[in-house]
Amino acid sequence: MHDGSGRIVVQGLTKQFGPVAAVQNLSFTVEPGSVTGFLGPNGAGKTTTLRMLLGLVTPTAGHGLINGRPFHQLGNPARVVGAVLEAQGFHPRRSARNHLRVYASAIGVPDQRADQVLALVGLGQAADRKAGGFSLGMKQRLALATALLGDPQVLVLDEPANGLDPEGIAWLRSFLQSFARSGRTVLISSHLLAEVEQTVDQVVIISRGQTMYYGPLANLRDSQQSRVLVQPSDTGALVAALQADGVTALEQLPDGRIAVTGVESKQVADTALKAGVSIYGIQEEKADLEQLFFRLTNGQYTASGPNQYAGPQQPQGSGYYAPPQGYQQPGYQTPPQGYQQPVPPGYQQPPPGYQQPPNPYQQQNPYQQGQGQGGLGGGA
Amino acid sequence: MLGNLIKSEFRKTTTTGLWWGLMIPTVLIALGWALVTGLIGKGLMDALNTSEAEELTTIIGIDPSQWKVSLFGMARSINVATIFPMIFGGLAIANEINRKTITTTFLTAPNRVSALSAKLVVYVLWGAIYGIAIVASVSIGIAITSDPNTLPDASGWLALAGVGVLSSILMTMFGVGVGALLTSVVGTTVVLLLYMLIIENGIQFVLGIQGVPEVIGFLPNGAVNGLTGSVAASLFLSTAGVVPDDLVEVIRAFAGALGAFDWWLSGLIFLAWTAIFFLGGWAATQRKDIT
Repeated sequence: MHDGSGRIVVQGLTKQFGPVAAVQNLSFTVEPGSVTGFLGPNGAGKTTTLRMLLGLVTPTAGHGLINGRPFHQLGNPARVVGAVLEAQGFHPRRSARNHLRVYASAIGVPDQRADQVLALVGLGQAADRKAGGFSLGMKQRLALATALLGDPQVLVLDEPANGLDPEGIAWLRSFLQSFARSGRTVLISSHLLAEVEQTVDQVVIISRGQTMYYGPLANLRDSQQSRVLVQPSDTGALVAALQADGVTALEQLPDGRIAVTGVESKQVADTALKAGVSIYGIQEEKADLEQLFFRLTNGQYTASGPNQYAGPQQPQGSGYYAPPQGYQQPGYQTPPQGYQQPVPPGYQQPPPGYQQPPNPYQQQNPYQQGQGQGGLGGGA
Repeated sequence: MLGNLIKSEFRKTTTTGLWWGLMIPTVLIALGWALVTGLIGKGLMDALNTSEAEELTTIIGIDPSQWKVSLFGMARSINVATIFPMIFGGLAIANEINRKTITTTFLTAPNRVSALSAKLVVYVLWGAIYGIAIVASVSIGIAITSDPNTLPDASGWLALAGVGVLSSILMTMFGVGVGALLTSVVGTTVVLLLYMLIIENGIQFVLGIQGVPEVIGFLPNGAVNGLTGSVAASLFLSTAGVVPDDLVEVIRAFAGALGAFDWWLSGLIFLAWTAIFFLGGWAATQRKDIT
């Protein structure tokens, strides 16, 4: 039987749907007592991963364990793990209460449990209504009620905020937090970091079926550095002066400004004054978490090496950044559904829909930090 | 554990309207066919009892007064009505996949084998329930319109009722298997109806013309018809007195058992068909990625 730890372990999970690699060698652990966000763009492999964990999809390789066991060895699984999945259906002509009673009997809990969980999710008044007439938000609540029938130790939710109104999202947030505080485990997926940012303690960020970051959200937040955007009268002179001061994290922006990472605006201004460069505008910019998430889940940035803000000095703390080499492996040819094709190293193809500056900054930016750019790059 | 799942599966069938939505036409068709075939049988017997016909039958050497012609109507009516439990079975898994309730079903069962086993038990039970309703409706219908002399005795009725319920159970399981293989509600319904009502009748017609009616007994519909048809035909022959050999095939055709084997062999053949589809559907569902 299972070990009762409430721990979820995903090890080397891989799923191949024909030629499409939905999930590739994914590994992470979810500890009890916390809410873990499972983040990635649509099509990144989140749903497939969760369904493999729940025994609904057979992995091509690797395994997902709950309480140290694969799903099918949990005994009475709904007592251990409850799941709210996308496209989890209800019979449209079965009432909410009857739906829950069907599964209550399968789990072996008394029928009163159906009314308990209905009240818990705020559907007590709708118990006798048929699920076919429910709004999307009510269906999500009914799905959660179903997941809670067996009073499970682990809760897995796939995009549960879909269809919920702001009030419902706030309710779900506090519910999940209190659920986790009681020492239980919550794994919640989303394609929007902002949606779960307030809820989660840990995050697993995946893109194209691979882990990009895995660790506490706080570490991810701390890893961002502010940067200074400065518009000098003489770009070359300011860059040279900053380089001389040992500031090498420089980037030219499409609008002609220079982005300086890792220093305060005061230092940039002082350097400019010493160099005799006028400053027409200066501004400190704190990159938000959503941007960082976007960068982590966007092949363009990760493919070119560690992301530019975090830089090679990252990661700090206990966060784990996946090595980016995965994207460049010659064997990896499968275009993930709907996303940009893998590009050869060195060539930065903009993903569809992304507002790429008109070029040639990514390729020819003389200020870009990193080795092998020659000239101004210096000894970073 | 399996008891919980059986209870759950049974609740699934009773908490939607499908079971009585199909029960109504089942009863109506069974009753209607029995009434009409009873009338036809009565008409036939009335014709045979006219004085001219009696002369003829005496010359041939048969005695229609002992002919239990209602047996044919009963067998035919049972056959037709078991279409509905077959559809009911066909929707068992196809509906769950279509409504995506299969996800929750598998999440609340220890494994798929036990979930599908529970379904098996519940649909055997439903096949029996439909079978009893069919046999009852047919019996009522045939009793209303038939000449009492042509009705089977108690043991004959019991035998026919037994194979009627059995064929209803097997038809339900056959449907479950086909539905699990096709996984589409519309596809399953259309394929089952088309095959059972049109396609196989066409094949049987061709086989009959080609002079190889014995092959019919190996086909699904031919085999399941053989269950009730063979029992009806042998019950008829056991009381009909002298029947010329040439007439035996005609009688079997009347009963819907042309080319069919003995009832138990027909049952085994149909059981094999059911097992093929059921195990195939089971294997497909067992390995299927639920996405």
